[in-house]
Amino acid sequence: MSKRAMTQGTPALPAPWLLATAAAVCLAARATGAAAEAASPVHYVLDQAKSALEFTFMQAGAQNKGKFTRFPVSFDFAPDNLAGSRLEVVVEIGSLDTGDKERDDTLRSADLFAVAKFPQAHFSASQFVRTASGFEALGKLTIRGVTRDARVPFTFRTADEHGVAVGYMSGKTSIRRLDFGVGQGDWRATDQVGNEVGVAFALRLTSAAR
Amino acid sequence: MVIRNTAHRWGAVAQLLHWTIVVLIIVQFTLAALAEDLPPLKKLGMLARHKSVGITILALAILRLAWRWLNPTPALPETLKPYQRVLARWTHALMYLLLFAMPLSGWMMSSARGFPVSWFGFFQLPDLVPKNRALYEALLTTHGTLALVLGALVTLHAAAALAHHFLLKDDVLRRMLPFT
Repeated sequence: MSKRAMTQGTPALPAPWLLATAAAVCLAARATGAAAEAASPVHYVLDQAKSALEFTFMQAGAQNKGKFTRFPVSFDFAPDNLAGSRLEVVVEIGSLDTGDKERDDTLRSADLFAVAKFPQAHFSASQFVRTASGFEALGKLTIRGVTRDARVPFTFRTADEHGVAVGYMSGKTSIRRLDFGVGQGDWRATDQVGNEVGVAFALRLTSAAR
Repeated sequence: MVIRNTAHRWGAVAQLLHWTIVVLIIVQFTLAALAEDLPPLKKLGMLARHKSVGITILALAILRLAWRWLNPTPALPETLKPYQRVLARWTHALMYLLLFAMPLSGWMMSSARGFPVSWFGFFQLPDLVPKNRALYEALLTTHGTLALVLGALVTLHAAAALAHHFLLKDDVLRRMLPFT
């Protein structure tokens, strides 16, 4: 019994020439991989089920929160090739969820998001800078048909999960809803519903073939 | 007028708490009725005020009960029949209970709805229960029913006070009034 276990547990050492060849192949693979990375960024798409896009807002003096449940992302990114990186986010506004149907319907109505007329919000960025804590995307944010410049700070880390390159992107920022006309008529008032809206995201992105 | 209660009269603090809460309860019924048919944003503002006033009543109710504990309670007139004493005691006990049950059911109802309560925008109160639609519906009914019970008790209480003053001609009403 013990003899069998020992022979099974001890792998035979490969011949030295085999080791040397394997090492050379590995090094070559890494070198070409690095070169490819610098040349063209990795193309990522959103893993919707494992990603979150949330917002917080003041309502009647108290902080309330909500989320979007559909927001496709296309992200071409390489930390060492920021010039070739690109981010496209489409937020399906109709997917908003604040945990209260009455409130959600109000948010979708004409005076607020006007979902019937403006079903999607967009963020597209093609300029990226490195910051002390990560990166910043400089792009255009369009909500309710109004487009404005926006800077979105984020952190990005990659992981190899069962041979698939996965990117984790997270960050938070804040926007003023009235800058985008989210709040017409009475809803322009900010005493009951604040102008400042916090936005936080934690995305799981999977690399996909182009 | 003395600050503390005596065996025959309510002191200034007890009177102030009593009448302030009377005014605030009237405000509460008014705000709740006004909020009913308002569009969403105005309703939000009206109910925010209703919640803030409710939390104020809750705080005052705590003070009031503590003050009652620390002071003598003026005795009921000797002329009262036993059933009247029982009725008075129960009416008062239930009204005290509702001074807590009304704001607490309202607060819980807001938490269950997922709309946290703020006190006039100065600070946000913690949620009493987790968000739960069914619980919210149940608390909404409870809050409304308790309001009807409170309305009935207050009416009975006020009618009894007036009856003491005008029919029985005793000092039950006067000892809760300042400057008398």
